[in-house]
Amino acid sequence: MSWKLVLALALVARPAPLIAQNGNGGGTTRLNGRVPAAALPAIDSILAAAAAESLPTEPLVQKALEGGAKNIPADRLVNGVRRGLLQLRQARAIVSHAVPGQSPPEGHVAAVAAALARGLSGPIVERLITVAPDEPPGPALHAAADLVAHHFDPDSAADLLVEAHNKGLRGVRLLDVAVAADHELQRPGGRTPSEALAHVRAMLPNVRPGRP
Amino acid sequence: MSPIDPRLQEALDLERDPGDLPVDLREAYARFNAATQMLKATPPVSVAARVMAEIRQIPPPVHSEGPARRLIHWLGRPRAVTVRLRPVWTLALAAGLAAVLVLQWPSGGPTPGVAQGIANFVGQFPGARSVEVVGSFNDWSRGTLHLNDDDGDGIWHAKAVLPAGQHEYMFVVDGERWVPDPLAGRYVDDGFGAGQQNSLLIVRPVSAQP
Repeated sequence: MSWKLVLALALVARPAPLIAQNGNGGGTTRLNGRVPAAALPAIDSILAAAAAESLPTEPLVQKALEGGAKNIPADRLVNGVRRGLLQLRQARAIVSHAVPGQSPPEGHVAAVAAALARGLSGPIVERLITVAPDEPPGPALHAAADLVAHHFDPDSAADLLVEAHNKGLRGVRLLDVAVAADHELQRPGGRTPSEALAHVRAMLPNVRPGRP
Repeated sequence: MSPIDPRLQEALDLERDPGDLPVDLREAYARFNAATQMLKATPPVSVAARVMAEIRQIPPPVHSEGPARRLIHWLGRPRAVTVRLRPVWTLALAAGLAAVLVLQWPSGGPTPGVAQGIANFVGQFPGARSVEVVGSFNDWSRGTLHLNDDDGDGIWHAKAVLPAGQHEYMFVVDGERWVPDPLAGRYVDDGFGAGQQNSLLIVRPVSAQP
């Protein structure tokens, strides 16, 4: 049996892709049987709108699957997916404003939408994207969201992350900055949040790798 | 070689009464006679036959022990083993072992790819019958990632290789109770209007793990 035949058989026999492609990225195909039938038409139209606007549909499909798994009633489930669409639109607007003249990558838009869902404000998100427009923004945004969740001042947190970036920290190493700030805050002796941030700033770029 | 005394020769040829011999010749006659008798006597069995007879007389061991104990004794008994090696195969075996050592044998457990990382899920659920993780990494499907509590101490564990990046998830306890991971450290509103929060996991790619 020639290698070409083996390759052809392998291609024919490979498992069917999880997502059968259609107009909305195959979302509704994956949702059949997983979400209430009453919610499917509305979700389908939301997914179609996202696809028409070149927004990522996967976060919306995930939200619908989550609602189905949790047995969320159809109306609330649709509202949850719709809220996701609104966040994606807002995220795309932020990315477009921060990096004008470029078609925003779907990954950037999804990461910004996730950061907005975690409570980061648009201006903070935009500032962090502007610092490194060509890098995946997810780690920096999560680091900022971690700091804000631990009651650090959002602007001061963004200042620290921008400085960390300027001193060479990239990607998930930015998460270590947030971990270090939290450690400093919890250190015995009672540091204030601003003291903790100042201490981490003095350590940069030598923050210890920590838990993500 | 000294010639034998004719009187002794005559006595040995039974032509003279040995009692007529002088004392010294009589002793010589006695020694000759004894030697002759010894040479005449044929051993009843060969040496080999006698040795084999002795061996046969050794009583066979009485197997009062169980089969397992006999097997242990058999395994522990020293045995002569002849090994014949071809140098080419010996060198090939050595090269193979060296390659394994250099390339480092995987230490077990899941092995992540470059764009993946390992996630450890731990939850304390005393008395739970089952705990599983459901999240965006498994399309929120039930029954794909179960936690285990092998020692029954109420602390449930699971380890999984996941794509690097952000994942939302929850624990499902006893198949019906949805619980955020209390150790997650990051949470996000699930967006369905009831104020429920998902846990948030950020998986570092294996190349970036400390």
